[in-house]
Amino acid sequence: MSDKPNILVVDDESIVIRSAELVLKGAGYEVEGANGGREAIAKMEQKSYGLVFTDLKMPEVDGITLIRWVRNARPDTGIVILTGYPSQDTIKEALSLGIIDYVPKPFTPAVLLDVTQRAVHWVLERRGAAGKGEEEKEDFPPSMAAELDKVIEFYRDKPGSLIPVLQRAQEMIGWLPVPALRRIAQGMNIPPAEVHSVTTFYSFFTMKPRGDHNVRVCLGTACYVKRAEEVMKTLEEGLGVEVGGVTPDRKFSLEEVRCLGACGLAPVVMVDSDTFAGIDPKAAMDVLKPYG
Amino acid sequence: MANDLIQISVCSGTGCLDAGSLLVRTAFEDHVRSQGLEKTVAVNFGGCAGTCPQGPVVTVEPGGVLYHGVQPGDAAAIVGEHLKGGVLDRLRYEPPEEPSKIPSTGALPLYRHQVLRVLRNKGLIDPESMEEYIARDGYQGAAKALTQMTAEEVVATVKNSGLRGRGGAGFPTGLKWEFASKSVADQKYLLCNGDEGDPGAFMDRSVMEADPHSVVEGMIIGSRAIGATKGVIYVRAEYPLAVKRLQKAIDDATAAGLLGKNILGSGHDFELSIYLGAGAFVCGEETALMRSIEGKRGMPRPRPPFPAHKGLWDKPTVLNNVETYANVPPILLHGADWYRSLGTQKSAGTKVFALTGAIKNVGLVEVPMGIPLRTIIYEVGGGIGKKNKKFKAVQMGGPSGGCIPEHLLDTAVDFDSINATGAIMGSGGMVVMDEDNCMVSLAKFFLGFTADESCGKCPPCRVGTRVMLDLLTDITEGRGKPGDIETLIDICDDIKNTSLCGLGQTAPNPVLTTIRYFRDEYESHIHDKWCKTGICRDLASFEIDPEICTGCGVCARACPQEAIVGEKKKPHRIIQELCIQCRTCYDKCKFNSIQIKASRKLTGVAAAAEGGKH
Repeated sequence: MSDKPNILVVDDESIVIRSAELVLKGAGYEVEGANGGREAIAKMEQKSYGLVFTDLKMPEVDGITLIRWVRNARPDTGIVILTGYPSQDTIKEALSLGIIDYVPKPFTPAVLLDVTQRAVHWVLERRGAAGKGEEEKEDFPPSMAAELDKVIEFYRDKPGSLIPVLQRAQEMIGWLPVPALRRIAQGMNIPPAEVHSVTTFYSFFTMKPRGDHNVRVCLGTACYVKRAEEVMKTLEEGLGVEVGGVTPDRKFSLEEVRCLGACGLAPVVMVDSDTFAGIDPKAAMDVLKPYG
Repeated sequence: MANDLIQISVCSGTGCLDAGSLLVRTAFEDHVRSQGLEKTVAVNFGGCAGTCPQGPVVTVEPGGVLYHGVQPGDAAAIVGEHLKGGVLDRLRYEPPEEPSKIPSTGALPLYRHQVLRVLRNKGLIDPESMEEYIARDGYQGAAKALTQMTAEEVVATVKNSGLRGRGGAGFPTGLKWEFASKSVADQKYLLCNGDEGDPGAFMDRSVMEADPHSVVEGMIIGSRAIGATKGVIYVRAEYPLAVKRLQKAIDDATAAGLLGKNILGSGHDFELSIYLGAGAFVCGEETALMRSIEGKRGMPRPRPPFPAHKGLWDKPTVLNNVETYANVPPILLHGADWYRSLGTQKSAGTKVFALTGAIKNVGLVEVPMGIPLRTIIYEVGGGIGKKNKKFKAVQMGGPSGGCIPEHLLDTAVDFDSINATGAIMGSGGMVVMDEDNCMVSLAKFFLGFTADESCGKCPPCRVGTRVMLDLLTDITEGRGKPGDIETLIDICDDIKNTSLCGLGQTAPNPVLTTIRYFRDEYESHIHDKWCKTGICRDLASFEIDPEICTGCGVCARACPQEAIVGEKKKPHRIIQELCIQCRTCYDKCKFNSIQIKASRKLTGVAAAAEGGKH
């Protein structure tokens, strides 16, 4: 793999594609354009790209849909969004889908190149880490670092804010990797040992990555009485992981939870934020079918 | 016009939302709009009606008609029937114990014994509407406390009402407030514990979701009583809907001038915020909860100093439970005597219970203190859910509580009587168990919970619960030995006496009560290698009673091991070598012909039988 991955620029305005091409080709990147989400998917089905730059607001197949597709079908491709409306909500949604960074429109060549370089660096480093099988080296994307710094900034002077900061960080990244904890410790001026001790004390926090879908089996008393343990066993066997584990394809993670307070529906299984009630222990795997 | 108004209230509790009540509400609204019925039919969201498994639940007024399992497609039919003055029989709730359809909610056995004080607004108001809360006397108690009463009078009223903390231990609320009101400090805090951690309990979630303003109002009154200017509601992150509704309630109350500076011109300031808990059972303990709000590991500290003197950030602090706060507004409005009119001498008012487990009517119930357990379980709860199964025990108080057996079912439900049984009132989880539940496994389940949740500060709790868990695991897997029961009791006493906080002090309760009332089960596990419920797989073997078996073949088809053989219409037989004790046949047999016997392997029965053949 060369250190200059090829790039696909997706936008419904061709002027954006042309100007991005101009800047990036000048810097030695191989660049192609697509006029919308549908064309982009068609292109990516034919050929693989190192990076995709995409607009969010596009007719028919929009940016978020495209991002979802890329994450599923081309997990090795890095995603950067181009947006004229860098509102908190859309960016947050895109972040939660695992984009690397964003470029506000209109952009200057310097900004575009700067973001591109960081994204390329991140993509290559991740590939290197995956090749060597070094899970620990996995960092979180630069855009998230910037978002995390904003959170730290907001809470820095408020006493007792470590837990909210950790909650926000986990919301953004999906889990709490060690580099994120280190960054929080530094930013909040709290010893890393204390950050680690708080993180490991509360069951809500996880230092292991979760799967694309997080499966939680309620083991509260009411669910226990209705044989939730057997539900758990079926899921463990079906997914081939133990509780607390993640499937090798990172599709599912399996956790137990102490009472969701939905005892009337016992036994209860939650997949992401969907609740499934009255699970038959023998048919527990059926719950996961819609999640592929 | 208003008299003719048909009110359709769609439950918006977690159970019903998950069952799709949002779509049901939209369907009603669309139908009403498309038919131009806006002036005769009102559609809104109501709080949890307490019959969660039958969701989505819809209540229609006038008449209080209850519908279960309503789908979006049913909206037109329900509206149509009620416009004609009728009722849609197809979906109307049919109480399991009385097959004839009962028209209104008030007459159902489920509701007959209930008195709704805490849940006064459940299902009646849209939890997200402050106006609807106010329309039902909302914020009048707070207004009275702020504008017509001194802080001392507020404390005295709550004290005289006899209200005791609903979080578990039952400490008198007024007394707690009095201590804090007398502390002198530049800053005081008022906290609300919404970190409902007991497995099997969901009262607080329901109150926060169905009537968030009642908690906010209770806290305003409390803040006036102790002179606190800042308040925090500590809520589990696992309760997203409760968080959302509380936040909206706080925002609306702030916008209306009921929170913030100089509330209602009284000169009293009170700011309220939400703090998300991160999942640690021990944070239900007050000093641990305060440490957690300070951003630390939620570990308890010795008392004194008591939080009323030194609590959050070392300032005087009062912590009460969600249900306690929800009780306060009507006390202020109607007076202490009104509150005492229900309940017993030492336990006034009502208590909300989350009734779950092997019972017919699962859900939230609110009953006067002093009512016998039997009435709650057999009349309000409708008795045991499965036919042919007998009641075995009711578990109260979660991991800190205990199991109450059949012969104590006439115990009155109040703090002191329940304590005398070895269980505790707790926050109100009531899990009913039938004869298919193994009590040793249950004790093991709770011990597993407390061993996991022990914060690790006190070794007797950290190490002791682990050792007990190992012992119980041995017993349930066939490695129990004589003397284990005594060892368990011994360790229980040590943990009880030497732990700093409530978690450790009460952790042995599930083990102690099951030994006290179901010692025979422990003994049969240890000595006979027999778990009569078959829950402990290693301690059971399954046999078909040829006298009862009809040869219907249901068990043979269900057996995953194909271990059941026999001719049609003739008694079947289980091939013991193939059986994995999965219990499927036992659950499937409609004639109770499957017998659970002691483990053949561990008792040497198998070998003896083999020997006998030769």
